[in-house]
Amino acid sequence: MTTTGDKASPFHFDRHAPEYIDHFDDLTHQLHEKCPIAWTETWGGHWVASGYKEVFEIARHGSLLSNDHDVHHERKGWQGITIPSPPGRDTRGGFLEMDPPEQRDWRRAIDPYLSPAAINRWKPMLDDLTRACIDERIETGTIDFVDDLANVVPAIMTLALMGLPLADWEIYCEPAHAQVYTPPTSPDMARVIEMTSVTQQKLLDGIRECRRNPRPGMVLGLIEAEIMGGPASDSDIRDTLGLLIGGGFDTTTALTAHSLQWLGENPTERARLRAELPELIDLATEEFLRYYTPAPGDGRTVTCEYELSGHHLEEGDRLWLSWAMANRDPSVFEEPDAVKIDRRHNRHTSFGLGVHRCIGSNVARTVFKAMLTAVLDRIPDYVCDPSGAVHYDTIGVINGMKHLPATFTPGLRIGKGIEETIGLWQKSIDEEGLARPVTRQG
Amino acid sequence: MSDGRGRAGGAIRLKVHVDPDKCQGHTLCAMEAPEAFELSDFDGHSTARFETVPAGMEQAVRDAAKTCPEQAIVITD
Ligand code: SF4
Repeated sequence: MTTTGDKASPFHFDRHAPEYIDHFDDLTHQLHEKCPIAWTETWGGHWVASGYKEVFEIARHGSLLSNDHDVHHERKGWQGITIPSPPGRDTRGGFLEMDPPEQRDWRRAIDPYLSPAAINRWKPMLDDLTRACIDERIETGTIDFVDDLANVVPAIMTLALMGLPLADWEIYCEPAHAQVYTPPTSPDMARVIEMTSVTQQKLLDGIRECRRNPRPGMVLGLIEAEIMGGPASDSDIRDTLGLLIGGGFDTTTALTAHSLQWLGENPTERARLRAELPELIDLATEEFLRYYTPAPGDGRTVTCEYELSGHHLEEGDRLWLSWAMANRDPSVFEEPDAVKIDRRHNRHTSFGLGVHRCIGSNVARTVFKAMLTAVLDRIPDYVCDPSGAVHYDTIGVINGMKHLPATFTPGLRIGKGIEETIGLWQKSIDEEGLARPVTRQG
Repeated sequence: MSDGRGRAGGAIRLKVHVDPDKCQGHTLCAMEAPEAFELSDFDGHSTARFETVPAGMEQAVRDAAKTCPEQAIVITD
């Protein structure tokens, strides 16, 4: 029987299974050829949109897809953006599990902390934190790019933007990553949920502290925001901070680890990137974003009947938008399965499409570029140890790595260690109000 | 400053604008052609710096349009 990818003849697709990691290219080719929109029976049954055309058409459609996660069954009972919906969750995943106009109000409140102009202000801190991370390792000639660099800088940056104490980054770090790399059916899930609830409490404490002693940052921006005509509750603010932590901590880590691994395996391209960094860094960054798609997709719920490439979507159907697979569509990307660090016209979907475009995209790019630049500058001959590289057990949520050890020719420290550096930047943030929003215009 | 090239081609000038309903602030247009597109300080959404594309900048504007993930850049002859 040939699979048509309809409900009567589903296409087997399981994002959390090892085949998804091991045979991603094959699976993508099959879906593109046979059914760029396909029904699969896994995880309660859902559509998988993998073709660029299909993803583009529906992700930007105003009202066809809903992000709503109706945890208290007040509306239609829809399940938000994760397939399957995380076990035991009774809170929404911030504004990513809302539809406009509510979603728009939340985004407007934090846009001026995350715009290109706002993020540019943080470059000196990012360069200094990156320097400190490398200084901690440079005399030893060994580094774990995940543990010693890519887990650290994005985490501290995220807390800085929120206006929370930088030194707390380690408290949030493990649960933020474990939450995404633990498969939904893992026996470890209970422990992860427990760890997460500790950080949730910590965030609530942070919000209350900011109400008592206001300090600039996104926490204050959200406290002062008008959402649907009134202030937001502490728990809604907490959920949005949780979303920003999930988005801010894990995705840039994933991008950095994969890119450094690829450059380690392709030393000629690494040397070229290093030699032509000003011309190539933007193009290379977009190409790594496309090829490794840190957030490989998002779930949605179909809100009304719709014909898409010969398939019939119905109200209430769950649907997976595969950004990762759309990014490999040969009708848009020449030689889509190759990394070309000078690729042009790269309109990848890695930050999503439509009104839910990743609000942290400017943070991600800037943080990534700071780390990449420093590694190429200071430890350009690194060699990754493939036996020590650990990928996530599931890449159904984030295409990430837990560890990426490497060795290199040792060099000299040029500044203070990470703890002291964090302390100095905390002081500047407090004294100079670095986490203020940019002023509204345009 | 009419030059031979403009007249010979019938002086057809491209027009460009960014559709504000489609633009979501991916910023790739300004990365591709900073001389043609300006990003809002507030949310990174884009506007064209001119309506009529100056001579010599046609290719840069076309490249930016091809790079926009939302296909929000509208070019008309
Ligand atoms: S690339 Fe497109 S979506 Fe992004 S800012 Fe430019 S016009 Fe807007």
